[in-house]
Amino acid sequence: MSVEREKDKSKVHRLSLKGSAKYVAEFFQYSINTILFQRGVYPAEDFTAVKKYGLTMLVSSDDQVKAYIKKIMTQLNEWMIGGKISKLVVVITSKDTGEHLERWQFDVQIFSKSSSKKSSKRAVDKENDVPEPSSAPPPAEKTEAEIQAEIQSIFRQVTASVTFLPQLEGDCTFNVLVYADADSEVPMEWGDSDAKEIKNGEKVQLRSFSTSNHRVDTLVSYRVGE
Amino acid sequence: MATAVSTPIKSHTGMFSTRTAGGRMPLTPSPRAQTTTLPLNKSSPFTPERNVSDAESIKVSSKSTYGGNLSSHFSKSSRATHRDSPKSNIAKSAQTPRRALELGVSDFTLTGTGCKTPGSSRSRKGPLRQKPTKTTLAFGDRFIPNRTASSAIATVGSGKLDLSDKQRPKTSGGESSSVLASGADDALAAMGSLSLDDEDESSTYSRPSPNTVAYQDSLASACGVSLNQRILAFKPAPPESTKPVDLRSQYNRPLKNANTASAQFRRRVATAPERVLDAPGLVDDYYLNLLDWSSGNQVAIGLERNVYVWSAESGTVSSLLETGPDTYVSSVKWSGDGAYVSVGLGTGEVQIWDVEEGTKLRSMHGHDTRVGVMGWNKHTLSTGARSGLVFNHDVRIAQHKVAELVSHTSEVCGLEWRADGSQLATGGNDNLVSIWDARSLAAPKFTKTNHKAAVKALSWCPWQPNLLATGGGSYDRHIHFWNSTTGARVNSIDTGSQVTSLRWSPHYKEIVSTSGFPDNSLSIWSYPTLVRNVEIPAHETRVLHSCLSPDGQMLATAAADESLKFWKIFEKKAGASSSAAAVASGKADMAKQMTIR
Repeated sequence: MSVEREKDKSKVHRLSLKGSAKYVAEFFQYSINTILFQRGVYPAEDFTAVKKYGLTMLVSSDDQVKAYIKKIMTQLNEWMIGGKISKLVVVITSKDTGEHLERWQFDVQIFSKSSSKKSSKRAVDKENDVPEPSSAPPPAEKTEAEIQAEIQSIFRQVTASVTFLPQLEGDCTFNVLVYADADSEVPMEWGDSDAKEIKNGEKVQLRSFSTSNHRVDTLVSYRVGE
Repeated sequence: MATAVSTPIKSHTGMFSTRTAGGRMPLTPSPRAQTTTLPLNKSSPFTPERNVSDAESIKVSSKSTYGGNLSSHFSKSSRATHRDSPKSNIAKSAQTPRRALELGVSDFTLTGTGCKTPGSSRSRKGPLRQKPTKTTLAFGDRFIPNRTASSAIATVGSGKLDLSDKQRPKTSGGESSSVLASGADDALAAMGSLSLDDEDESSTYSRPSPNTVAYQDSLASACGVSLNQRILAFKPAPPESTKPVDLRSQYNRPLKNANTASAQFRRRVATAPERVLDAPGLVDDYYLNLLDWSSGNQVAIGLERNVYVWSAESGTVSSLLETGPDTYVSSVKWSGDGAYVSVGLGTGEVQIWDVEEGTKLRSMHGHDTRVGVMGWNKHTLSTGARSGLVFNHDVRIAQHKVAELVSHTSEVCGLEWRADGSQLATGGNDNLVSIWDARSLAAPKFTKTNHKAAVKALSWCPWQPNLLATGGGSYDRHIHFWNSTTGARVNSIDTGSQVTSLRWSPHYKEIVSTSGFPDNSLSIWSYPTLVRNVEIPAHETRVLHSCLSPDGQMLATAAADESLKFWKIFEKKAGASSSAAAVASGKADMAKQMTIR
């Protein structure tokens, strides 16, 4: 039953949703790289500059890191296309104390998802499927350039955030968390985790961007220095 | 779902069995049992008395806020049947004479701080209860004050988990276990009242492997978030950082240093030779010095018995001289004005030639071993020989030998006058570097023993007169930098291969080294950062000699592969008024590109 509905849904949304999901996933990839660079998780020499979103983005050129991120991204892509993800979180953790120091959270809203989610809960209620396309908010027509401009401003903010984020002391490492629907398929490499929230952290909401199908909000929380 | 329900049921049965067995019993033990199991209950010592005393006092029923919550929860939940009695009792308790106290307590609990609440809440609940239920309630009380705080949920959850763990071994419901179980139920109840979605929560609790910390934490956070979600972490550990990162230095890195990171932004160095000439018959001998470039832009090279002069301007080659068949050319050196070439021979003879005329001006004898290296200082020609002796010749006078510099015990292969002529540096096969003061040549001013192999490569820094660079042979592979005033070693580089020559750039703060085995390359090093800017695989065999063009832009290298190559490695930037400015502007560009970090 649910499979059928999945199919229906995908017929309606597939193209635009897929494209949008890819776009968002790509954004995540650059976000992770940018965070790793800006916060010094890896040495700056490991990064090379590439042009993206009309900015000079720094992406890791270290083979191991590249492979690591790629592995994450492959799965993320899949989840994104399936609309399974509501948050992506990059947590920076101190290697010395194991304390979570910084938490970059990207909230994903899928515009057409909210209604479909509800209906899926109500199991076999097919009635809900009919109004779905119309009930979804009419996708705001945005040009590629507008979306890019929004993304640009996010990265500018991420870059600028080093001015208010506390100095990261000592060696740090990072983890990628994903808030996925309970029914998502979970590959071996992924496992349940706590939210790795920052205790008594301060939060700063950064900008957001939206495509026709997704809206991504950005939030950084960090430990307040003593 | 099934499991979730089963736990409560089990506990109930336990509870009821105890009740029927003999109601009194659970009362007293229960608080103690709790204290052992639940660290939360610090006030437990008080509870038994209160319970007992209160137990008789009141059985009135009206619904407090707490009772309301609980009861509503129970009405929601499927397992309500047994529960109703104890919980409704709780509800009733609210109306007791003690109520005033309770209210105070409850206010207090609302504002926070778990520590004091257990005792007070206990007093509140105690009064109403029949014994068996009382125990459960007493336990349940602990959690009630916590309801407001989400963090408490986590503790509730953990409490439950602990309990259930401890419960298992006891199995058949001893009293304490029943107490525990009921406590667990209350914990669940408390949670249930908090969350919107009972089913999901209980199902999460019922998961088979609940006793990991991560799991508990995830519960806590899950309560704040939608329960249809799982938080998934990418489990493999991220790759280690290749080196420790100090962000402080990285924030201003683009402005500050010319270190490794910015190598990609450094000036471009042409890695292909500008020109390649054949040098047939070039003797493959590290200890000779057969190549020199004059201030008049002519290149002299010694090839076996001949000396050729190649004009860099016209590109024409002329043979200057050919030695007798019994010897060979072991060194060539232009005089400072570029008019004369001194030629050292294998016999120890030193000849001076007028290049313009193509005639020999004079021969100077004195060495009885080959002269492998020479250096001009105005009219003084210093010659170093295989014997280890260095002579200074005044080429203007008949008695040309004016000084004998005795220091080296083995062949002298490196010799370089400082530009101002006040100091002379010599290097030898005895691994020594000697620095001489031109005014007192009886003994070297400094003798340095740091090199572990022959020292052929010597070069005085053009912008810092007392800075000398010396490079060691294949066993040594180091470049050392010396302060020739104090004799201190100020820097060192391990190049990884035999250093055959060193040349400072007059325009950039850089030095180029040529190497023999194993790299056969040119390396350009920034000074004083000692960063290798570029390494050019220059020749197929070891680079033997090098010299800079008079304008300082071009390097000529001669190698054992019998070729002479010209490299434009210190090219001046077009339009740049000074090299320093060029470097600075390059850095500014870089800063722009790097953005902030």
